[in-house]
Amino acid sequence: MLRIDDLVVRYGSAVAVDGISFEVGAGEMVALVGPNGAGKSTLINAISGLVAPHSGTVACEGRIAQVPEGRQMFADMSVEDNLLLGGWSIRNRDLGEVYDLLPDLAGMRKRKAGRLSGGQQQMVAVGRALMARPDLLAIDELSLGLAPLVVAELAEHLRFLNRERGTAVLLVEQEVTLAFDVCPRALVLEAGRIIAAGPSVELAQSETVRKAYFGDLAVAETMTGATAPATTEVSP
Amino acid sequence: MDRVNPRNVLVVVAAVAGCVAPFVMGDLTFLMRMLLAAIVVTGLSLLMGYAGQASLGQGAFVAVGAVTVAVGTTRWGLPPLLVLVAAPIVAGAFAALVGVPLLRLRGHYLAFGTLALLLMVQTAMSTLDFLGGAFGISGIPAFGVGGSVFTDQRPYVLLALGLLALVLFVTHRIVDSRFGRGIRALAGSETAAESAGVPVMRGKLVIFALSAMYAGLAGGLSAFFTPYVSPDSFPALESFTYVIMAVVGGLGTLWGGVVGAVLVSTLLQVLNLVSSQPQLPPTLGPILQYATYGGLLVVALLFMPGGIVPTVQSAAARAVSRRGGAGRT
Amino acid sequence: MTELVAYLISGIALGSSFALIGSGLVVVHRVTRVVNFAQGSVAIVGGMTSATLLNGLLPHGLGEIAAVVLCGVLGVLVGLLAIGRRGTPPLISLIVTLGASMLVSAAIIWLWGQDPVTPPGLEGSVTVLGAEVERQRLLVVAATGVAFAALTLFFSRSYLGKGLTASASNPFAARMVGIDVRKMGLLAFGLAGILGGLAGVLIAPSNPLSFYSDLPLVLSGFAAAVFGGLTSPLRTLFGGLGLGVAGQLTAGYLNGSYQTEMALLLMLVIMIIRSRALVQEEVK
Ligand SMILES: Nc1ncnc2c1ncn2[C@@H]1O[C@H](COP(=O)(O)OP(=O)(O)O)[C@@H](O)[C@H]1O
Ligand SMILES: [Mg+2]
Repeated sequence: MLRIDDLVVRYGSAVAVDGISFEVGAGEMVALVGPNGAGKSTLINAISGLVAPHSGTVACEGRIAQVPEGRQMFADMSVEDNLLLGGWSIRNRDLGEVYDLLPDLAGMRKRKAGRLSGGQQQMVAVGRALMARPDLLAIDELSLGLAPLVVAELAEHLRFLNRERGTAVLLVEQEVTLAFDVCPRALVLEAGRIIAAGPSVELAQSETVRKAYFGDLAVAETMTGATAPATTEVSP
Repeated sequence: MDRVNPRNVLVVVAAVAGCVAPFVMGDLTFLMRMLLAAIVVTGLSLLMGYAGQASLGQGAFVAVGAVTVAVGTTRWGLPPLLVLVAAPIVAGAFAALVGVPLLRLRGHYLAFGTLALLLMVQTAMSTLDFLGGAFGISGIPAFGVGGSVFTDQRPYVLLALGLLALVLFVTHRIVDSRFGRGIRALAGSETAAESAGVPVMRGKLVIFALSAMYAGLAGGLSAFFTPYVSPDSFPALESFTYVIMAVVGGLGTLWGGVVGAVLVSTLLQVLNLVSSQPQLPPTLGPILQYATYGGLLVVALLFMPGGIVPTVQSAAARAVSRRGGAGRT
Repeated sequence: MTELVAYLISGIALGSSFALIGSGLVVVHRVTRVVNFAQGSVAIVGGMTSATLLNGLLPHGLGEIAAVVLCGVLGVLVGLLAIGRRGTPPLISLIVTLGASMLVSAAIIWLWGQDPVTPPGLEGSVTVLGAEVERQRLLVVAATGVAFAALTLFFSRSYLGKGLTASASNPFAARMVGIDVRKMGLLAFGLAGILGGLAGVLIAPSNPLSFYSDLPLVLSGFAAAVFGGLTSPLRTLFGGLGLGVAGQLTAGYLNGSYQTEMALLLMLVIMIIRSRALVQEEVK
């Protein structure tokens, strides 16, 4: 349902996305991983039409909604207003559906979004995106700065959504284990190019990917932490 | 290989034209006002282009310079040369003084703050009898040094030309100095400049005071030329005109102020001549004036945001490089 | 005592117009970061248009409303100049709106000449707490109250108003959910035109307006808006009322000609004292 063809995005003379092509089928969950500055956010923003591509095409049958990096709340507005604004593009003002899917949101509807915890804000960001009744949910850094329990809960919501609604998900995630766990298929991005793609299980086993990009992580897992540097710890 | 820089040719042409004009033109008031504006706008362009601070009330410093001359000559009987030298100094000191609180403001706030300053200077002038009160100060003696006294307009124009040259020279030296390069960072981002070790506040204050000195110098000279100073001599519209000239000429360029002042003054003069035809309605003058000001600002900013000088410079650079010359413009 | 009441009421009436003009500046600044220098000129057009319309063309009420609507359109036109071109930095936009205000001045002189114009207002006066108060001044206060209530409701209750607030609060996210932030900017300019026009229509009967009034009007409005950090309409209302009352008290007890300077001085002091906070709000 989403088809990207030879997409190039530039900031001035700097190339952030350098000729990327891939597809996401209806109802599919795809992970997009890669180091900082790889161009993941740029790619997502190009897909949502927030940055203009330099060349190449983004074709999508159906609606895309985004859960942006850093959550991007309308901080001084209530949760309810944040959700309502999520439905702006299709003039959807029916909150019931989202409150059914994410019942926690109903409890904080009157609170200012800027005052919520990171996990609650991420929940609002997901709810806000759902208000656009998307066929594809593009999520940028789901777990960033959140406690693992909260992340697990959010991931569960995504799976549920995908199962019950058939909403496709494109998940940008630093936490590779989480990404591979949630999404059956994954793309590995570096310096604006896709350097590996395939089923998550295979990628997770692939020696090159493990060594070159998640080497530390893989080492941490297989060597039971004995020689793992502090930065590689999967948060407890 | 021709080593003649086209810009230097232009400068020479402008200088020659400037020196010839006083001898061929009849009424020199227009020329004089244009030169004075060029002095003020050179400073304003420095302030806006290099320090990134907009002043909508540059006339406040012109007024301070003019009042210095008026008070110095008529009240204290000081020699003309002394008060003319004092005018920029007093204006600069005034700017340094008010600049300390005022320059804590930026952007819109500073723009409105300087405008408020101008209006308050006007009020001070009209309420304090010492500064002339509502009727202003008249009877300012002609300028002169020693025994030689200026008896007609021409020497004033020549003096203004000389002072403009001086102002341009000083500006050039400052811009090219280490201090100038540091200041340039201010127009980009103050935070960046600060972290690069540029003393932001002091730098802004120096440029602010310097632009005020230019304005004070022009004000002082205008007081001798007119020879009359009143609160109405410095309307806000005139300060806006300086901004228009600076913007039209090109902010942050050495010659932008002069080019802007010449073009805008000439345009206004032509419109003035056209609209003062006896058979036309008397309101046509102000209508054309406002429409021109507004039109110039909008068109210049939207379609030539850099101003004329940078636009022409880059066009010339392109033309030169097309011809295969290693153009150093 | 009755003197004081009279000063207070006329101060509140005057301050109401500052607040209306200032809230127009705030509405535009929140969404676009631009300070609209033409806001004073738009108010003048409001007052003058109502004078023309009420001169036999339209009855009271309709004439004023038509003038205010026209000012809304004028506001959008100014907005098209100021933010029509992408990537114009806010300070340059300020100077563009300065240019726009000069164009409006040219139009004002062309259409209405250079002399002050004053439309008919409410006749007569009433006694409030022993003080004789013109009914027009009470109308100004009441209309301002209604306008601010409507503005507050618009921003907090209407979907469109929420879109505007969202564009001000987080332009990136606003774009992300599909809000056309540029259109919202133009809408803000239109709204500001309406507020400015309302101010002009309301004050022109007691303070005749000429093309020359633009500067005092936009400065007073800005002074009021400074109290709200250029972001809060409600604090702008209080700022405007405070400035109006302070001005009238100065005029009444000290000297009439210092009224504007009083406002300017207060504005400068507030700006300088709060400069750090203001810069932060600007950056945000
Ligand atoms: N607004 C921007 N302007 C200029 N460069 C940018 C901008 N946003 C991102 N970049 C650059 O583009 C590259 C990709 O960034 P991004 O898409 O944010 O990567 P990721 O999300 O994978 O960390 C980086 O080199 C970054 O510095
Ligand atoms: Mg990113």
